[in-house]
Amino acid sequence: MATTHSDSETLGGESVEDFDESEQSVEARVGWRYTLAQVRKDPTAFAGFIIIAVASVVALVTTIDAVVFEYLAQYQVFAQFGVEKYWLAKTIWMSPTAEPAGTPTLLPPVGMENTFGQGTWAHPLGTDDRGRDILLRLIYGTRIAILVGVLATAIGLVGGMVIGAVSGYYGGWTDDVLMRLAETLYAIPFLVLVLAFIAAFGRSITFAMVGVGVASIPKFARLIRSRVVSVREDEYVEAAKAAGVRDRNIILRHVIPNSFAPVLVQATLQVGTAIIIIAGLSFLGFGIQPPTPSWGQMLSVSRNYMIQNPWFSVWPGLCILVTVVAFNMFGDGLRDALDPRLNN
Amino acid sequence: MSAPLLRVDDLQVQFFTEDGVVRAVDGISFDVREGELVGLVGESGAGKSVAVSAIMRLVESPGRIVGGHIEFKGETLIEVERGDDGESYRTDATIPDGELRERIRGREIAIIFQDPMESLNPVFTVGGQLREFIELNRDLSEEDAREEAVRMLREVGIPEAAARYDDYPHQFSGGMRQRVLIAMALACEPALIIADEPTTALDVTVEAQILDLVDELQERYDTSFVWVTHDMGVVAEICDRVNVMYLGEIVEQAPVDDLFYDTQHPYTEALLDSVPRPDETVEELNPIKGVMPEAINPPAGCRFHTRCPDAREACKTTNPDCRDVTDGVTEHRAACIKHDAFETTYEGSPPLETGSGGGFDVSLSGGETDD
Repeated sequence: MATTHSDSETLGGESVEDFDESEQSVEARVGWRYTLAQVRKDPTAFAGFIIIAVASVVALVTTIDAVVFEYLAQYQVFAQFGVEKYWLAKTIWMSPTAEPAGTPTLLPPVGMENTFGQGTWAHPLGTDDRGRDILLRLIYGTRIAILVGVLATAIGLVGGMVIGAVSGYYGGWTDDVLMRLAETLYAIPFLVLVLAFIAAFGRSITFAMVGVGVASIPKFARLIRSRVVSVREDEYVEAAKAAGVRDRNIILRHVIPNSFAPVLVQATLQVGTAIIIIAGLSFLGFGIQPPTPSWGQMLSVSRNYMIQNPWFSVWPGLCILVTVVAFNMFGDGLRDALDPRLNN
Repeated sequence: MSAPLLRVDDLQVQFFTEDGVVRAVDGISFDVREGELVGLVGESGAGKSVAVSAIMRLVESPGRIVGGHIEFKGETLIEVERGDDGESYRTDATIPDGELRERIRGREIAIIFQDPMESLNPVFTVGGQLREFIELNRDLSEEDAREEAVRMLREVGIPEAAARYDDYPHQFSGGMRQRVLIAMALACEPALIIADEPTTALDVTVEAQILDLVDELQERYDTSFVWVTHDMGVVAEICDRVNVMYLGEIVEQAPVDDLFYDTQHPYTEALLDSVPRPDETVEELNPIKGVMPEAINPPAGCRFHTRCPDAREACKTTNPDCRDVTDGVTEHRAACIKHDAFETTYEGSPPLETGSGGGFDVSLSGGETDD
């Protein structure tokens, strides 16, 4: 940027888009709009973003249908209108947990045929061992995957951020104690740690989620710490100190925002990992409990019917695959967009 | 004469590194009066920045203030004494950390840092940072602080201040950013602004603009300044009084005119010699020979004797303090034993063959001996 000749040169509304790509300074590569524009240029990352966006919307709608409506149904005001759990699903099609009488079990997808019958449009992806519609259960399973994946990551992110930032900012023995604790946690295999957590607190999706979150704290803490150690030496941090800003505010307003980019990438990738772990726990029976639909648990049930109807296993497996890959693609794209050295 | 606004007395800052103790600032004393612009000049590594950050107690580990007394408006910013056990500790007169942060930093004393490119947080808007700073130090509401921030931006000459309020630091040029930092420092109308080489990172045109701006603003707000620089030109332009530092010590203190026209210390002289002058055409500039020794193991005697053109045998053994050398005519102090104020054997001792080696320098000092 030609900057110093005259101050009036840089006058006027120079927005991020107005910069010529080749002349853009490294510092210009900040801000949400720029990052998103960058991600958009990367087809794989953009595809990942779209898949995540669609899955998130699906998760939101199904959460309203399952959780919010169940809660509202307790009240007479809403119950008189027929509000109940899976109200929306029932109104449009059928409940994801109902076992309709007369529907054949283990039907293949539409256009296929097996010993149980011919696939129909009534059940586009076939039915499960209890005659429930697989497509509908997959849709409702998205909720668990996204919600639990994101929440577990959020727990790890927040925990890791606090520990890592404090550790990196203060250094000294604070750093030693916190980091040795984190490394101790790191030394235990991830799944073992989560299983131990569930064993200690109880077999429920909440504890599975918290367990996955806690187990991922060290990863985030170490990542944040490594950034904070360099950011705390930046002059604006010293300037803030000289201006009389409290340590807490320096960490929150100056240190963390400037250390956040790599963490954001890690968090996106971590959501994918969390989804797999949670699905694995559901598969083992430690996660979500039937009849609530979840991909992992569907996969678990379907393995008994692998021979009779292999499609039953394929669908939930495919859902997990696509979602996790989408998070990874988006995460990779985000890393490229946030790291100026990888551009040009 | 009224009591000075800031008084630094025998300040010592040391860095405890693995290689040994670095005596970055080794017993410097100076003061700043109200409305005065005091310069702190010296080569890189002379300890200027460390000295000014010690004023606000911003020296970070492994550095520590191990001695001295800093007084500001009658309050003790720091007083460190050496105990019987040899450990230095803060005395009770030192104001506590919380109070220093709440009352002094930002409100009473502000710092403008060296690099305008790095001193603004890149993830927040310029206006937002300025507003936050004003809110913090002046107890204004958010809206009032915003108004004040825009006013300050206008004050330091940022065109269309209101429109640029929401810009990010990267959308500002270096000179504009330095203006913002000056606005930030002035915003709380502090009594003292410490400017740590604020124009070093800028080109000369912008530097001149900034210096003019500071001059003008200083007149209007009557703020005192401590101006750290290595540029003699800047010193001549804006400073009222000057302290010249070499290797952690102050070697000469004088009003700016006296420093330039009646230089008393060989280091200052050498420093002035090395500056290109528009009124003289020379084949080659005359830099100070050699490099500054490590503060970890400073030379015995006068610290400058290894490079000093006037050095003699006596300089190896005597480390002079900064004394009045003009019989009290002006406030002019220098730390060189060639002056009569020091009763030493300088006159009688033989000249020293120094690393400054150049024939020109040696013959010059030889000439003085013959007098």
